[in-house]
Amino acid sequence: MKTNTHLFWILTAFFWGASALYTVWSLLDSFHGYVEWVGTLALALCGALFALIAFFLGRAHSAQGGELPEDIQTADIDDGDTEVGFYSPWSWWPMMVAAGAALVFLGVAIGEWIAFIGAALAFVCIVGWVFEYYRGYFGR
Amino acid sequence: MAKSRSISAIMETVTSTSLSHTVGAPVVNRPSVVAVGTIVWLGSEVMFFAGLFAIYFTLRSTSAGLWAFETSKLDVWYALGNTTILVLSSFTCQFGVFAAERLQARATGWKPTQWGMVEWFFLTYAMGAVFVIGQIFEYANLVAEHISISSNSYGSAFYITTGFHGLHVIGGLVAFILVIGRAFSVKTFTHKEAMSAIVVSYYWHFVDVVWIGLFLVIYVLK
Repeated sequence: MKTNTHLFWILTAFFWGASALYTVWSLLDSFHGYVEWVGTLALALCGALFALIAFFLGRAHSAQGGELPEDIQTADIDDGDTEVGFYSPWSWWPMMVAAGAALVFLGVAIGEWIAFIGAALAFVCIVGWVFEYYRGYFGR
Repeated sequence: MAKSRSISAIMETVTSTSLSHTVGAPVVNRPSVVAVGTIVWLGSEVMFFAGLFAIYFTLRSTSAGLWAFETSKLDVWYALGNTTILVLSSFTCQFGVFAAERLQARATGWKPTQWGMVEWFFLTYAMGAVFVIGQIFEYANLVAEHISISSNSYGSAFYITTGFHGLHVIGGLVAFILVIGRAFSVKTFTHKEAMSAIVVSYYWHFVDVVWIGLFLVIYVLK
């Protein structure tokens, strides 16, 4: 995991350097002469994006001290075969949340009243999704 | 060279999968997929707010006079008070995470050192709600001062940046309620509930840091 952390810190330094270079270049350029904020900020916050992930991975590594199979010379292929998350095989809730979100965007595009219905649907379905494995047979 | 070639010749005839684990091999220990997913998603949120900051700075650089006139109507001390409440709510949220990490959902006494995750998260929720209410009053005052989302480019930039941040705070409030609800719906508070509390705290800290950025840009830098 140390390798991943270093890679993300290198990317952070690259984007912060690129942001500084972009700012200086647009100030020196005879067609500009002023700071072009979109590029400067996009590059600087790209650096922030990678810094966030690098910081998280560094903290996670120092807290649990584990190594990824990718970094272990003697690792087997199936060591990398880990859990990718918990996905309910029968749940309708994610699809209904998506439907609610779609109605919100539809409402924003063609008529606000639809967005209110979509938001209510999405909220009900998020509650259903979050508590699906806390009710009935799964209550514990 | 000759030796290594002969070894590789032998290795072609056998399986490369080791039959027993090497003694003293490092432990394979991945970070929680929920935490990694949340952090990567927050990375995309960074870029969403990058777009909003870019809108703000571009409009600011093209209409300096308008900015000087409109920002003089801002109540910086009021916003500073509101900001302080939001920043402090990050601390109460973190105390809730510490409680969740010791798998303590509920308080064992009235003292804050004995509080569980639920009590800390209710306090955080209250502070976040005060922040949103404070922002609503601020919007009302600014509309009275003739700054609206459609009045000019300053109004658009101000309400779009702070408004999207406010929507994120409201989303965080919903997330706190859901995490508290999960803690209430189980008899034993497990790592699964603690993990959802931790990722909600990641999100809350992120929204807090974005607000510090927005506060510095909108109220201090002007």
